[in-house]
Amino acid sequence: MPSSDPLPPKESALFRKLMKCYEMKQYKNGLKLAKQILSNPKYTEHGETLAMKGLTLNGLGRREEAYKYVRLGLRNDLRSHVCWHVYGLLQRSDKKYDEAIKCYRNALKWEKDNLQILKDLSLLQIQMRDLEGYKETRHHLFKLRPSQHASWIGFAMSYHLLGDLEMANSILDAFNQSQTSIEPNDYRHSELLLYQNQILVEAGKYQEALEHLIKYENQMVDKLAVQEAMGDLYIKIGQQSKAVPIFEELIDRNPENTLYYSQFFLAKQISDADQKLSAFKKFQETYPRAMCPKRLPLDVATGDAFQTVLDNYLRRGLRKGVPPLFVNVRSLHTQPEKVAVMEKLILQYYENLTRSGHFSREDADKNLPVEPASAVVWTLLFLAQHYDYKRETDKALEYINAAIEHTPTLIELFITKGRIYKHAGDPVEAYMWLDEAQSMDTADRYINSKCAKYMLRANLIKEAEDICGKFTREGVSAMENLNEMQCMWFQTECALAYQRMERWGESLKKCHEVDRHFAEIIEDQFDFHTYCMRKMTMRAYVGLLRLEDVLRRHPFYFKAAKCAIEVYIRLYDKPLKSEETIEEIDTENLPPSELKKLRSKQRKAKKKAELESAQAAQAQIKREQHQKSKQQANQEADPEAPQLDELIPEKLERPDDPLEKAIEFLKPLQQLAKERIETHLLAFELYSRKSKILLMIQSIKRALAIDAGHPQVHSCIVRLIRALPTLTKDLNVAVKTVVDKAVKELIGTKSAQQLNDEFIAKHSSSIMHLYEAARIMYELDAGKQEAAIKLITSYDVAKLKLEDATKIFESLRDGIFGNCEDAVKNYKETCHKHFKYARLFRDNVEETTTEKTTEEGSDAGNHVEKATADL
Amino acid sequence: MNIRCAKPEDLMAMQHCNLLCLPENYQMKYYFYHGLTWPQLSYVAEDDKGNIVGYVLAKMEEPESGEDSKRGHITSLAVKRSYRRLGLAQKLMNQASKAMVECFEAQYVSLHVRKSNRAALNLYTNTLKFKIIEIEPKYYADGEDAYAMRRDLGEFTSTKADNLENQENNQDNNKIHYRESGTANHHDHSNHDGHCC
Repeated sequence: MPSSDPLPPKESALFRKLMKCYEMKQYKNGLKLAKQILSNPKYTEHGETLAMKGLTLNGLGRREEAYKYVRLGLRNDLRSHVCWHVYGLLQRSDKKYDEAIKCYRNALKWEKDNLQILKDLSLLQIQMRDLEGYKETRHHLFKLRPSQHASWIGFAMSYHLLGDLEMANSILDAFNQSQTSIEPNDYRHSELLLYQNQILVEAGKYQEALEHLIKYENQMVDKLAVQEAMGDLYIKIGQQSKAVPIFEELIDRNPENTLYYSQFFLAKQISDADQKLSAFKKFQETYPRAMCPKRLPLDVATGDAFQTVLDNYLRRGLRKGVPPLFVNVRSLHTQPEKVAVMEKLILQYYENLTRSGHFSREDADKNLPVEPASAVVWTLLFLAQHYDYKRETDKALEYINAAIEHTPTLIELFITKGRIYKHAGDPVEAYMWLDEAQSMDTADRYINSKCAKYMLRANLIKEAEDICGKFTREGVSAMENLNEMQCMWFQTECALAYQRMERWGESLKKCHEVDRHFAEIIEDQFDFHTYCMRKMTMRAYVGLLRLEDVLRRHPFYFKAAKCAIEVYIRLYDKPLKSEETIEEIDTENLPPSELKKLRSKQRKAKKKAELESAQAAQAQIKREQHQKSKQQANQEADPEAPQLDELIPEKLERPDDPLEKAIEFLKPLQQLAKERIETHLLAFELYSRKSKILLMIQSIKRALAIDAGHPQVHSCIVRLIRALPTLTKDLNVAVKTVVDKAVKELIGTKSAQQLNDEFIAKHSSSIMHLYEAARIMYELDAGKQEAAIKLITSYDVAKLKLEDATKIFESLRDGIFGNCEDAVKNYKETCHKHFKYARLFRDNVEETTTEKTTEEGSDAGNHVEKATADL
Repeated sequence: MNIRCAKPEDLMAMQHCNLLCLPENYQMKYYFYHGLTWPQLSYVAEDDKGNIVGYVLAKMEEPESGEDSKRGHITSLAVKRSYRRLGLAQKLMNQASKAMVECFEAQYVSLHVRKSNRAALNLYTNTLKFKIIEIEPKYYADGEDAYAMRRDLGEFTSTKADNLENQENNQDNNKIHYRESGTANHHDHSNHDGHCC
């Protein structure tokens, strides 16, 4: 459709030039051209020119003006597809994809066959996963340009994503038929064929897929994919014998792929352990350097056969000095009888190595040559790791100390020693050993990272940042560089450390940074929508789309989201005072000792705050400078992505609606991590605070479906019962009927008291169940404090895991069971006897941490000086 | 231990492994760029639990003008310290090299390594038969020089004889000279290779 407001020839030529300038990113020239058109009195209001002027301004990073002119232009010419398209492009560059889609649709109303608009629309539709819309647009493009390859591919893919595999396949088939003269080694053609094959496999058409592979095999360059698919398909259609040579070839190509071996056994129809062992033996002979044929038999063998293969495996590793020897057999620890054999063997090695230098007495008797001197160190290391895994700290330490004494230069020993302390509950001692290890090889970032992680576990954030700084780019702070590089392990550990230190705002900042990485990684797809269609790497591309759909399922996101939700809940339960009133703490009712502590705490906090604001000021200046130089550099470049709000801890920890903020983190978990019970337990915590009765019930039901016996679900149910009267008071009849029915299904007609009593009787041997029951007991009747405490403290500590003891101790200490100083003291002593390395149960650790903080303080002081000097 | 070709869903774990092990880091988009342009070339090593403990991130180079031999390039290679001495780096490299030949007809593969990185240099020179081509001064962000290295992939070609001949010709005709620059592609990254093994 011609423009509704046409320009005369001269201006029209200028306008075409203006478009060209925009495409070439010559924004300044573009502005001049726009000015020329608009300076003609007849066309000062010309819609399309005004819109293009706006878009050009956006190119220069002048976003506000851009919106002003684009909107003005559009208002002056609502029937112009150019104006709508331009508005869409502007919104798109602002990442407002939904709005941009609407604009493109309006543009198409006035120019329905505009290729560029259709292409732009299809990109947004796939980005937003509007799959139906995408299919329609691709269909439209296909009809307009049937001669282009991309038209066919996009059209087929739109059906693939919608699950219409039949249609996707026939489009690709038709396309294939139309292809003549295939060059040899045509990578893109090969990729497309394999993509079609993937669709056939997904459709379950195994026979057809196999025939397709056989027919086009010589046109496919990705031989590995062809063989893997072919072998798999032969097994699927029951022609196992034909799969055998394929998997033999694959093993020959890569003898370290575990899947090939299991597929080989399927093909050979071998399920018997002895047969598998002899097959592995043959592979060992053929591929003497391969690990898999040596390691996999350990999973298969039992009894005497197991002892034989393990004996060989361990001896080899100890003789050679393979650091990951233990981690490679760690998974066997799920089978107690195998652990026993392992322990017996390794102890026997140690005994004989120290006596005669052999692994066994038989070797000594046979006068075989002695093992290398290092074998005993590796044996000691293995023993230490073995007992550490079994949480026998004393033994583990004994062996690791002996090892260090033998070879004080082996870094792995120090790492293991640190890990033993970490598992035993002493993060401070743990990090010191890692620091030692780190200092022995400062060129290795892995050990550096591990050291930083241990520091974070010990809440030493500044130290961790400094250590990381040895490997981050110079000129920027380590924190900033780690954020820029999306270093999420650091940021999640940091968030948790801040959470432990009750520095809520800092903790939230880290959680939000992680969340932003995920948003950015989702955004990253955008460029690949067109790129992959050109490169024809459709299998990988569909893999990317599927990955991005569930991206926030990632453990890093889960950790950060859980932390953020917990912090927001804490801030809802006990909101922080506003920044001004923070000093006015009620000091009247404090005993003098507490007051002194508080004062010293406040002094430290103040010092810290001053330091931080100095640092923040400096960072602000740096940022501004950075921004300025960036803007200068970008004068002629692409418009910058919209600037995100700066994350300021003081603001984050004083949210207007903490529960709503928490729910933003919860939503992706409910969608993508619904198989994890924590998701629903967190959801219950949030919804109960929002008094959303139906959602509380929903969370409980979902949790029960995952693990009906989970101790915390019991607490949720009892809390629901107790909250019912208030929550159902004002409900309308219809909702109340639903609630009543649901509650009845959950618990029948029992009272909270009855439920709890039954629960205790049923789970008397599980401490975590008793713990939840005790909390409820006390909540239901504060008079039963003593009984509740006894219920958990009388449980045999020797049967506890450190994590459980920690949870119980902290709950007593933090007043979950009311004031119970004696119980706290006694329980601490009891735990200390059993977990003697755990810092939490030791007395006099306060002082060491205080020393640490003062040190930190003086460090920080220096830092301020430096910071001001830099200013 | 399991070695296999990397899938899109491995790329984040590769980035994690890279950040733990190496000073040369890249944003996710750069991993996507590799995984979606040359999906066959990157490999991972995973432990029993499926954690990535080592990887090789590889690509093909755009042929320079006047050059008709095809070459692969190792962008990054890392194995966690706790999984050393299993030969993982070598195995990963060989799988990637084989795929370069098969899918992209690569005749050789190149990489950069820090002059100070003796362990990596030893692996490349002695185990994998790489040769030093030249020194790239101040290649790394911190000012360190790099060795530009190259390995002939003739041994991975099934029709060995033909290709060896070709390669000899190429060696005569083309001086290998190239530079990794931070703006070599449209993705915004410091583009320097990193290695540890």
